[in-house]
Amino acid sequence: MSQAVVSVNAGILLPVLAPAVGAAVVLVTDVAVQHLRRVHYVIALVSLVVGALATFAGLGMVGGSARRTLCLPGSGLCMYAADSVASTLQLAALLAAALTLLLSWPDDKKQSPGGTAVIVSLVLAATAGATAVAGARDVGSWLVALELATLPTVALVALRGARSAISGAIALLTTALVSFGLLALSAALWFTATGSGFLTPAAGLVAINDPARRPILVLAVVVVIAGIGFKLSLVPFHAWTPEAYDGAPLPIAAFLAGVSKIAALAALLVVIRAIAPLGAPPLAAIAIVSAISMTLGNIMALRQNGVVRFLAWSTVAQAGWVVLPLAAVSSGAVHASGAYLLAYALATLLIFAVVAAMVQIRGAARARDLNEYRGLLGDHPVLASALGLGLLSLAGLPPGFLGLVAKVAALRPVVTSELWWLAVIAAVNAVLGVAVYLRWLLIVISTPDASVQAPAPKVPDGTSPVAVQAVRAHPATLVAVGFTVVALVLTSLNPQMLVGLLGQ
Amino acid sequence: MILLIGALVIPAVTGTALLLSGRGFRPQVEGNANTISLVASVLTAALVIATVIVRPVLNYSWLPSLGVRLHFAVDGISAPLLILTAALSVAVVVNARSRPSHGGSPASFYGCLQLVELGALATFFARDAVIFYVAFEVVLVPMWVLIARYGDSHDLAARRDASGRFVLYTVLGSTLMLIGILALVQASGTADLDALAAAHGAGLARHTQIIIAALLLVGMGIKVPVWPLHTWLPPAHTIAPTAGSVMLAALLLKMGTYGIVRLAIAPLPLGFAALAPAFGVLGVIGIIWGGLACLVENDLKRLIAYSSVAHMGFVVLGLSSGTTVGLQAALFANIAHGVVSALLFFLVGGLKERWGSADLATARAALREVSPRLGIALVVGFAASLGLPGLVGFWGEFLAMYSAWNPAPDRPQGLMRLLVIVAVSGAGLAALYSLRVLRLIWFGDRTTPSHEDARGGEWSVLAVLIAAVLVLGVAPGLLLNSTFKDAASITIGVSR
Repeated sequence: MSQAVVSVNAGILLPVLAPAVGAAVVLVTDVAVQHLRRVHYVIALVSLVVGALATFAGLGMVGGSARRTLCLPGSGLCMYAADSVASTLQLAALLAAALTLLLSWPDDKKQSPGGTAVIVSLVLAATAGATAVAGARDVGSWLVALELATLPTVALVALRGARSAISGAIALLTTALVSFGLLALSAALWFTATGSGFLTPAAGLVAINDPARRPILVLAVVVVIAGIGFKLSLVPFHAWTPEAYDGAPLPIAAFLAGVSKIAALAALLVVIRAIAPLGAPPLAAIAIVSAISMTLGNIMALRQNGVVRFLAWSTVAQAGWVVLPLAAVSSGAVHASGAYLLAYALATLLIFAVVAAMVQIRGAARARDLNEYRGLLGDHPVLASALGLGLLSLAGLPPGFLGLVAKVAALRPVVTSELWWLAVIAAVNAVLGVAVYLRWLLIVISTPDASVQAPAPKVPDGTSPVAVQAVRAHPATLVAVGFTVVALVLTSLNPQMLVGLLGQ
Repeated sequence: MILLIGALVIPAVTGTALLLSGRGFRPQVEGNANTISLVASVLTAALVIATVIVRPVLNYSWLPSLGVRLHFAVDGISAPLLILTAALSVAVVVNARSRPSHGGSPASFYGCLQLVELGALATFFARDAVIFYVAFEVVLVPMWVLIARYGDSHDLAARRDASGRFVLYTVLGSTLMLIGILALVQASGTADLDALAAAHGAGLARHTQIIIAALLLVGMGIKVPVWPLHTWLPPAHTIAPTAGSVMLAALLLKMGTYGIVRLAIAPLPLGFAALAPAFGVLGVIGIIWGGLACLVENDLKRLIAYSSVAHMGFVVLGLSSGTTVGLQAALFANIAHGVVSALLFFLVGGLKERWGSADLATARAALREVSPRLGIALVVGFAASLGLPGLVGFWGEFLAMYSAWNPAPDRPQGLMRLLVIVAVSGAGLAALYSLRVLRLIWFGDRTTPSHEDARGGEWSVLAVLIAAVLVLGVAPGLLLNSTFKDAASITIGVSR
């Protein structure tokens, strides 16, 4: 009988189901046996890894092929389709969530018992939303999945209970509500314009060819860009970002910078691909938003002295780069945007992992102050080199070849479409970005000379590393650092490893 | 092929290993780091010379999604630059044996030098336009570290300013160049530099060629540097350590002119022809501007930096003439400037360490009296710099002016001849400032405060460079013959 309603293939849905089931198992386990910590993390990591393995079948597929399920009988329309782009973004979201949990693990001792299960299940739920939105092909599940990816993050930010956390959570909640309103509006407009609940090019084409309905579709797309602009932290919808990042616990800030951005871009790509035949008008909105985001994000990041706020503004600038290729009417734009997002997410998570390690070694106050990184290269050469690699990758400079290739990929559709003004703004922002990231790197490689006070007695070479490294970072954090470093080095040597996942 | 891979992998691995070797590793000791990088540079140089003789080709798909291939090869235009790169990389290490670095760990210093060498070699080897851009960027961060950490220790703020300016200007230039490259690749359908050069812009509309050529010329003009985009150069040279200044002047500036030949002149003949007069005018302004600045400049390192702006002006003039002679003149002047500026920066870097500053206004012991070896290097260096016949500096500048006097038929002859007349007066300025420097620090009978003469590594490097100045000055055919065939194949399309 079920065949008469919709077909369900659990194997294809596994990237969504695994984290969702993991969240449920964690909550049930917490009811059964209380005061567990490690078990919850293990369950969560296992479910994320299972989900990640399940995405492999969809990686690197060429053409328009996709793994479809939840199909309506007869019509051939499916509510869920995981092609290579969606599968890659799902994989990225699942791995980013696993890294977040690794960072959160050592942080967790301060939480009250029972808190662990809540945090872990919220992370898993939001991750399930992120993977679901990448595959969603109908307006309803697209909207629900995107909110599922967003709302748990509000709780995650608020849970720490500090005043800054509450204000950050309120900023995030307000944004989420406005964004939800806009997205619901755009869903209604889409339905009005196309008469279809499916986000497919065929549905879009119907409205494009009808002069009466075409303006409604354009309006729907512009409203979508605004709604997702909030989640991607695009200017002028970015204001919550520094507040929420700074108020949240560090691992949660990493989650916002990683999984949430992947979810938002995945949602945007679903819409962009559905309206590909529409052409320029709504894309001009993306071009403007992208140009302003990069510029403002870079300029504000140049002025920050707090590490987390620096990363928040850097996210704003990078979000501009992520949507930059989408401003062009080009077949490669979606892939370029995905490739840039992957490069950004990997480098940003690497930096968050290093900062988390620094929090454990030097304490939160020092690790969150940019100027306290002076002389890091001498004290912790490995962590400093990892941080340098992440920063250079974000700046798009060798040896961060992955960031460089992502920059090339992002610029290519813009140049192909001869959007010269946008290309020149992007070039200027490449310079600003280099200034932003090298500013931190310069602090890291400087010697802690006369200009710095001496809080602890500064011992000459040879003895000081022993004294400083007496406090070591938690193994889980070091695993996170190691994983991201290895991934970034390998993908820098052979960027095709990452770019190829998205298919041709 | 193994030669080519080796020539790139050795500096890459040595540089990375030296950079990553933390505190307590043996390379942290100055001597060990020096020996390791000396061995690496000599091996690399041997492999580079072998590639120049054997001419291997490496062609391997690196990034199929973007159609980027690891395509490396050698031809007559890149061969002299490759040898210059490899030789100077050995020279800076040898020189550092007697003049060690300051400011940070020696291992990182040598590691950065190796990576700069890697970037320069990869740039000159590259046969894929996007790989050319990637290689172009490789030199940036190591050079930035060299200036920011190992530069002039007197002034921290000046160091930050100089290194920041260097990296930001260059990134702006290379990103504009990247946009130009992407547009070129998109318009002509291939990223293969040989295919691009062979097509001579066939199938590309004139206005498309002009837009792309303009992006490329502005982008690489920053690196050359062409007036008025040169303002990053004097502070960077002044602050950088000796090895950094040498690499910067002798290699990095060449990457700009080389890129213009490969990416603008060869594949975009119509676009470059339209912009060439303006380009030539800027080059000649650079000649005069640099010469005038040198007349009043009191910091010796900065003076040589300004003279670089003037010399690169002659290269620009030769390029804009559009003839085979002009192209050969530019390539020759490129190498000549590489040798002469390396000689002068080695010399002045050593002098600055002896004197404690490079200020010309302070009274010093005359080099002729207290350090004859340094004295002879100074005389040869500035004599070559002012373009004395029989030395290496003469041929490039003479041929550049000759070619601009008889430019390609599609160039405005009157304007080009006017430019030559102005450039000649620029050469006169070069004579004035060269003699001014010689009078101030070489001539005279002051013997206090005395300083030691060049010895060991420092003297051997200076001696080899003096010999190169003389040999190439007496027998310019060595170089001109090697570039002729490939230069002619490029300009066939230009004067079509």
